[in-house]
Amino acid sequence: MHTKAELEKALAQPAPEETVEIEEIDDLELVRRAQKEDMRAYDVLVRRYQERVYGTVYHMTSNHEDANDLTQETFIKAFRVLKSFKGDSSFFTWIYRIAVNKTINFLKQRKNRTQISLNDVDFNAENDPDLVALVSDKTPRRDLSLSELQEKLNAAMLKLSEHHRMVVTLHDVQGLSHEEIGQIMDCNVGTVRSRLFYARQQLQGHLSDYLK
Amino acid sequence: MNSNSSDFEALRKLMALKRHEQPPPGYFYRLPDQIALRLARGEGQERFWEKFFNQFTFRPALAYSFALAAFSALTLSVVYSVRTEPPETAQSSGNGWQSGAEAEALANQSNLSEPLHVANWIGTENSSNPAVALPSLFDTGLHHSSLQVKFSSP
Repeated sequence: MHTKAELEKALAQPAPEETVEIEEIDDLELVRRAQKEDMRAYDVLVRRYQERVYGTVYHMTSNHEDANDLTQETFIKAFRVLKSFKGDSSFFTWIYRIAVNKTINFLKQRKNRTQISLNDVDFNAENDPDLVALVSDKTPRRDLSLSELQEKLNAAMLKLSEHHRMVVTLHDVQGLSHEEIGQIMDCNVGTVRSRLFYARQQLQGHLSDYLK
Repeated sequence: MNSNSSDFEALRKLMALKRHEQPPPGYFYRLPDQIALRLARGEGQERFWEKFFNQFTFRPALAYSFALAAFSALTLSVVYSVRTEPPETAQSSGNGWQSGAEAEALANQSNLSEPLHVANWIGTENSSNPAVALPSLFDTGLHHSSLQVKFSSP
């Protein structure tokens, strides 16, 4: 014998088969459903892109709390203006654009109040051959730990302007193409390339001790 | 620019370290629920004025046009108000002080046979000149009591 509350709870939760199905639906169909206030469809979209959106914001701010707030605000804002999404670009580009605009606006307001609150480096980093080589061979201090290198890297990133930092984050960390970055940042590919070149030059200057 | 891509190889490897920075365990499991909760609370709904100002945030051209229109309207209103100022306000300020023409006419009308008494200028009680009746910044009680005036018959 089930109580009324138990029945309501069971009805509110989707059946396992339905969950599998909805997770396989493409973005456009999920957006179409979410535009009709289908929260489960939007939940799938959030789960699909949360890591990439969070990652972008986090690498821009170097602060977990700020990244958490901005990621939530990005998805809330996206839901509120979802009806304006016409499908001219992919949902991925569209949500990234909201995140990028929010982050750049936030950084401009924050400007001189930079507080670093870095996430931990996962255990895979210690096994990354490139990083192991960098830490053990190429740095002037062989005892330099990964966390110290992480701090230096983030401090160097914060010295870049918002737009240069964004290009480096999207290309070198997130692995997006120049064309995708151009769509997200609303500029042409040439601008993306020149910003990337300039940003890397700046970073190389700031991190010269660790790149010899 | 492409020829320099090999120069940045070490930098790119170093940047790869950032991919290993991860939020606290379970963070991405909880995040969608937090977003859904905030949406259910009705957060993020823009009010009228927020929508209005957001128009300008994303369209600087619109903001400049609006600023230009507002400035033009202000300038025009100032010019219009100066041109249509009432003539009487220009001739007399209405605070007791006469303009040059009025003072001259008043002087012509006054009876010159009567002597001018100093008391008329410094006195307060019987003065007909409103300007004299006004308190002076330099007037003190001591000054009034020490001044002796003699009346003489014509």
